[in-house]
Amino acid sequence: MVVNILVGLGVALFGFVLQTAMGGINRKIVARVQKRIGPKWYQEFIDIFKLFSKRSVSHGWIFDFGVIMALGGIIATAMFMPVTANIIAFEGYDNFFIFVYLLAVGMLGMAMSASGSGNPLASIGVMRALTTMLAYEVPFMIVVMTIIKLTGGTSSVSEIAAFQQIAGNNWFIIALPLGGIVAIISLMGMLGKKPFETYIAPAEIASGPMVEYGGKQLGMLFVMHEITVFIEVSLFIHLFLGGAATLGVYLLKYFLVYTALNLISSVYARFKIDQVVVFFYKWPLFMAVTQAIIAIYLGWVI
Amino acid sequence: MKSTKFSPMTQEQIDKKWWEIGNYFRRNSLWMLMYCTGCCAIELPPAMTSAYDMERLGMGPMATPRQADVLLVTGYLSLKTLRRLIYTYEQMSEPKYVVGFGSCTINGGIYHDSHAVINKLDQYIPVDVYVAGCMPNTEAVMNGFTDLMGMIKNKTARGWLDYKERNDWYKKNQLDSLGEVLVHDEFHE
Amino acid sequence: MNFASIEMILMITLASGVLAYLIGKLNAKLGSIVTILVSMYVTIAVIYFGYNGELVITTEYLPLVTFKVTNIGLFFASTVTFVFAMVSFFNPFFIDKYKFKALYSMLYIFSLVGILGVFFTDNFMTLFVFFEFTVWSSMFLIPMGKSTKSTTLYFAMSTIGSFALLYAIFLMRSQSGSFDIDQGLAMVSGAKATWTYILLSVAAFAKLGAFPLHLWLPKVLGDAPDPVTAVFSGGLEKLGAFVAVMGLVRLAPVSFNIGAIDMDFARYVIAFIGSITIIIGTLMAIRQDDAKKLLAYSSMSNGGYIIVALTIGNGIAISGALYHVLAHAIASAAAFLAIAAVARKTNTTKMSELGGMIHNMPITYMVYLIAIISMAGIPPMGGFISKWMIFQAVINKGLPIIAIGVFFGSIGSFLYVFRPLAALFLGQQLPEYKHLKEAPFFMVLPMIILSGLIIYTGVLPNYILGKINEIVVDLGATAVTITEYTITGFNGTIHPALISGMFGVGVFVAFLIFITFKKSKKVTLMDTYTAGEFIYTEELLHYSVDFYAPLERLYEKYIHIMEKTYDSIRNKIAEVGHFFKYYFFTNKPEVSVFWIVIIVSLLLWGESLW
Repeated sequence: MVVNILVGLGVALFGFVLQTAMGGINRKIVARVQKRIGPKWYQEFIDIFKLFSKRSVSHGWIFDFGVIMALGGIIATAMFMPVTANIIAFEGYDNFFIFVYLLAVGMLGMAMSASGSGNPLASIGVMRALTTMLAYEVPFMIVVMTIIKLTGGTSSVSEIAAFQQIAGNNWFIIALPLGGIVAIISLMGMLGKKPFETYIAPAEIASGPMVEYGGKQLGMLFVMHEITVFIEVSLFIHLFLGGAATLGVYLLKYFLVYTALNLISSVYARFKIDQVVVFFYKWPLFMAVTQAIIAIYLGWVI
Repeated sequence: MKSTKFSPMTQEQIDKKWWEIGNYFRRNSLWMLMYCTGCCAIELPPAMTSAYDMERLGMGPMATPRQADVLLVTGYLSLKTLRRLIYTYEQMSEPKYVVGFGSCTINGGIYHDSHAVINKLDQYIPVDVYVAGCMPNTEAVMNGFTDLMGMIKNKTARGWLDYKERNDWYKKNQLDSLGEVLVHDEFHE
Repeated sequence: MNFASIEMILMITLASGVLAYLIGKLNAKLGSIVTILVSMYVTIAVIYFGYNGELVITTEYLPLVTFKVTNIGLFFASTVTFVFAMVSFFNPFFIDKYKFKALYSMLYIFSLVGILGVFFTDNFMTLFVFFEFTVWSSMFLIPMGKSTKSTTLYFAMSTIGSFALLYAIFLMRSQSGSFDIDQGLAMVSGAKATWTYILLSVAAFAKLGAFPLHLWLPKVLGDAPDPVTAVFSGGLEKLGAFVAVMGLVRLAPVSFNIGAIDMDFARYVIAFIGSITIIIGTLMAIRQDDAKKLLAYSSMSNGGYIIVALTIGNGIAISGALYHVLAHAIASAAAFLAIAAVARKTNTTKMSELGGMIHNMPITYMVYLIAIISMAGIPPMGGFISKWMIFQAVINKGLPIIAIGVFFGSIGSFLYVFRPLAALFLGQQLPEYKHLKEAPFFMVLPMIILSGLIIYTGVLPNYILGKINEIVVDLGATAVTITEYTITGFNGTIHPALISGMFGVGVFVAFLIFITFKKSKKVTLMDTYTAGEFIYTEELLHYSVDFYAPLERLYEKYIHIMEKTYDSIRNKIAEVGHFFKYYFFTNKPEVSVFWIVIIVSLLLWGESLW
């Protein structure tokens, strides 16, 4: 048990290091897209450690407690995440719904802490984040439901990945093309990439939920954000891109997915919040349901 | 003969060591809060975008004073703005630095004889680096930033400590010019 | 005299109801304390005797009433009586606000009697009588709150449910020849089974507040006195779930089978309505300003989950539904009690008028937080287990359209449960409430017990799931595979204790990170980023009005559709009435006589027509 917990914490740490490095590399790539030189690849590490070295302000116990709960919830979620087929802390317990809902604990902690700061912009940011969540989560879950149904009924993330590696089965992004598109769009929403960046919106609501954070609290939220991105991108890799047999393949897939999303995001402007909702409930939901019906009832799977 | 055994560092030395490590991170990741009061602000877009790309120095714009490390005062400050600038400066989390842009923050510049504009910014809040010029070149702005980084490295960017130590003096100057820092007008009961 | 006899418990409770009235006439506070004692007694008696298998079902004094202890009855009875007992602690603190103080205590106990009767009988007539007894006694509790109008609505909707139940009973009796519940449900068949199915669903819908009979729920729960609201949401509403189990699970309607999903059409329709209930409940909850109404709509949406799960009707689904009954009962009771504790101090439940209550009432805040985590179905609380099982059932059955509702409600619940948290408890501390203190100990105590139970149901659900498995087997479905700590569903295994443990580990690590670094500087709530602007009024910095305005704007045009539908139905009925009045009851007596003769002869002939 102790070993498992250590492996789990290791996965969380790995996720943090990986995503922080990827974040830095991607800042560099986006800079190149914009004809800039861009920061050092380890810039994100510097940012986070700098935040930890600063003296922050606190708006009362709920402000601190929420941050702890946020990071704790996300670390707990990451502990269940399989990296490759072999690197997994709690085998058999990597249920898809754990990721969706345990992630929500972290989000709730952050939302609570942000509202506890007493800043209206933070509450507006939380409102937008939750509304965006309502938008992207439903189409995504319908697609995942299709996947669970197609794998013969397993919601274990690593087993879904293993299912796609069996000869004769395509990756689900190919097997379910409509669903794949929906998943990519939803992933953009999950990661808060443009055009779904409504809840951060620095120029509009002063970075939303994070408006009152500085110093170590902001640093912890950054760590939380990095691990969240790791969880979400990993989920996408395992559910749609056939998982990873070795660490190298995993890193490659991770890099490709995250970079592709960043490149898409770097050429878009921001939606308004109601546009986000209307958008997701128009095409992605329609496509997700169509995909579910033709895959489950008609059995048309590539 | 001197003993070679490990001599534990005092708490002070440990703190100093940590501070130096912290300084490395701080100077390589300066997040700015742009208080765009005057025309010098126009120098920031080229500094940020592909022409000069300050992100390669680890700098970037931030939305709120809580998150920011360095406050950029880009131009003249009227009395109304000064109040808000002081309020904003006090909200920043420590350590914090201030960069004053243009001659307006140094001596009032072309507004030196205006009744509504202050002349010397460092009377009211501590300024670590001035970038002179009316308005300064973008090269000068970038140079100012690298200067600030050097100062952080040499531990000479001590403005925020000075503001704590000589708080009475700063407060007195502020009150002399403003009457009071807080405002009560028709919007505030 | 046997104290473990249901009859005895019932009669003691009934008598103490009268006693509470008499004592309450002398001293209102004492009368309400009787309600605590009685409901505690009933809870302990039911749970202790029930789960030790010692409940005696023979009747000595009450005529025509027969009892039977079933696993499901026991489960519902212990859940609901427990909620009653916990809520009763609030009665002494609220009794001064009511006009009829003694009556309140009596009716509170009487509704408990009705509940007990419904859950422990094997006879449809007894069930109906006690069902009505509950409806009537609870009906008079409602107008002691804000308005009497909602009572009318409750009565009207309840009547629909009651008549549906009565017709269903008659239909079953016409086939089985007795009022016995098991026989009636087992023997009804053919088209009558479908009709019974529909009628029982209507009865369940009326009680659960499901679409389209949901209009009473928010009004009643919003207007009723605060403790009564908690009882309604945590207890009385669950009567509907009980009827739903009877109708939706134990009956097999015969319309036609939908081949693709291997599900009967009637079942699918009910599941669809359940799904619509979830969506409407969620959307309406999002736009409420009154915290009680918000939670009322959330009750409605959770009722939808129970309906969806029961229509699917396999082992996982039924256990999910029953676990949801329990999890939602305690969570919503805790949430309503927390709101009630705030309302007692501030005299309002409007979120736009409140703010920063966390600084006055931290324990109440924690109780509310735990309750909403469970209501939103987030681990490590009880709601996650039940929602997980319901999701499994929906996915396994492959119902994408219904899944939209189920997932929407689940994510939407994050939105609406967060709103009171942000607007009422967090945010700026409004000056008019700065002097308030935490609720008194005897109000905090039941809330803490409920919170403890919410965590227990989320961390170690297996004991209760074992009990639910017995019910599932009784209902003829396969039991859920559970070991000491794990639950295995269709799509995999979860280990709730492991999840909670890892959450603990995560929080511990985060806490270590937090204390390693420099201590923060304490600042006040008003010292906050305002883009350099000076703001001194707390209200201006408190975001609580129209919290989800951008989202609300998308659907606010459509929210009154149901009210309008009912209005137009009423107008149509009135028109029909005018029509009859015009043709049959003219001022020419011979026309009236003519029609009367025609109708009488039709009626006489009717036997052969039918």
